[in-house]
Amino acid sequence: GPGLKVISTLSVGFDHLALDEIKKRGIRVGYTPDVLTDATAELSVALLLSACRRLPEAAEQVKSGGWTTWKPLWMCGHGLSDSTVGIVGLGRIGQAVARRLKPFGVRRFLYTGSGPKPESAAEFGAEFVPLTRLAEESDFVVVTCALTPATQGMCNKDFFGRMKKTSVFVNTSRGAVVNQEDLYEALAQGQIAAAGLDVTTPEPLPTDHPLLSLRNCVILPHIGSATYATRSAMAVLAAKNLLAGLRGEPMPHELQL
Amino acid sequence: MWYHKPAINEELLQSLPNLKVVASAGVGTDHLDLKLLFSYGVKVSNTPFIVSTDTADMGMALLLASSRRLLEGHEMAVSPDTEYFPADWLGVEVSGATLGILGMGKIGYKVAERAKAFEMKILYHNRNQRKKEEESAVGAVYCKKVDDLLQQSDFVLLAMNLTPQTHKLIGKSELELMKPTATLINISRGLVVDQDALVEALQNKVIKAAALDVTYPEPLPRDHPLLKLKNVIITPHIGSATKKTRWVMMEEMAKSKEAGLAGLLIPREVL
Repeated sequence: GPGLKVISTLSVGFDHLALDEIKKRGIRVGYTPDVLTDATAELSVALLLSACRRLPEAAEQVKSGGWTTWKPLWMCGHGLSDSTVGIVGLGRIGQAVARRLKPFGVRRFLYTGSGPKPESAAEFGAEFVPLTRLAEESDFVVVTCALTPATQGMCNKDFFGRMKKTSVFVNTSRGAVVNQEDLYEALAQGQIAAAGLDVTTPEPLPTDHPLLSLRNCVILPHIGSATYATRSAMAVLAAKNLLAGLRGEPMPHELQL
Repeated sequence: MWYHKPAINEELLQSLPNLKVVASAGVGTDHLDLKLLFSYGVKVSNTPFIVSTDTADMGMALLLASSRRLLEGHEMAVSPDTEYFPADWLGVEVSGATLGILGMGKIGYKVAERAKAFEMKILYHNRNQRKKEEESAVGAVYCKKVDDLLQQSDFVLLAMNLTPQTHKLIGKSELELMKPTATLINISRGLVVDQDALVEALQNKVIKAAALDVTYPEPLPRDHPLLKLKNVIITPHIGSATKKTRWVMMEEMAKSKEAGLAGLLIPREVL
């Protein structure tokens, strides 16, 4: 309606907003960066570990009786020790992920994005590389970038084709950054070892979607920021943004259009 | 030998008069009667160091999966009955929470290193206090009394050896000392916990949840109550389960056996 003055979103992503139209109408936008960084980074690492150590599969074997006796190579996953981790999008969340992964014995961090970020990268000794090299050299790929026209469908057949057979792919950004059909093929053909997705297109996936049938794909219901503490903080911030906008005052976190 | 088979007893040793060395996979030797073996002049080796990193990774994986409700979330995401994801479906943040580590050996210390990066407060109890530099490197605070650790921790992680002293260390009273919002994580041995007391504590919400890579026995009988509790994650003793680590374990076992047969010094001898 014509009376709309402020949009306050409970997220750090703003890919769901038609920014051109919003700007045209002089509507202000508030969002919630920073407060959700830790929770989302934590969930990304949790998802990575669940995927590379096959937690849902293993837990299911315990319940179903598939675990009969112990065999040396049964249920083996992939360790982080001595690995190369590639972060797609070394923003706040990407950095927080790298920080948490460092003590797991990661030997090398790579990152990619629209440009190098030397100050952010220094903490991890991370090397700025093109997307293709990141795919080729990483044992673990974690996608934490924003969804933009440039990143839409970026993780596609070419990307997965370059990844190692033993590698693990984790996406906690937006579903549309990934070409889901290509991801399915890569997993089904054994081009990559496993995947962990907190985000898909759509959410939830239709009940007959092929990704749901894969044992080596862990899917979560978009819970990156889903903790009591973080959602409360986001809600308070979103309310403050909204009220400030309605009063014509500066917002705690306003999106620059 | 892998896991705890074959069971080494008097009968077996008498039937193998030429047995010189037993190479055991893993670091634990609780399944071996060392006194008996040594009395027959048999040497024993294990694979102590190589399992530490993967097992510590597993400890963190279980801690995170439990706190952020990963397995439940996965089931919801893939279930044909799910129509939408409820906005108020929430977990608890690990960042900033208090982790109490019982048994700060190689594995316990590696867990502390990982937990520090999540900004967790770390308490620990060990037979011997660690050096000051080791403590400050991970920000770990020593608790002389196990009870103090239990009362203050949001997550209690068990990483000690199974010995007569640690057998059923975590029983009814220990569980009652823990916070009702606390989670028990076990990556050591099932028998360190009084399993029946644990079942009761979980059923009566004395503690919030448990995540166990080890139980007693393994696997649990099909009708065991632990398999039915919603607030329990059980994995099939996969702490060291990566191909890389398992291959190194096999190499170490082979080297120990060769050395033992040749009468040379055994690399990973258990004394």
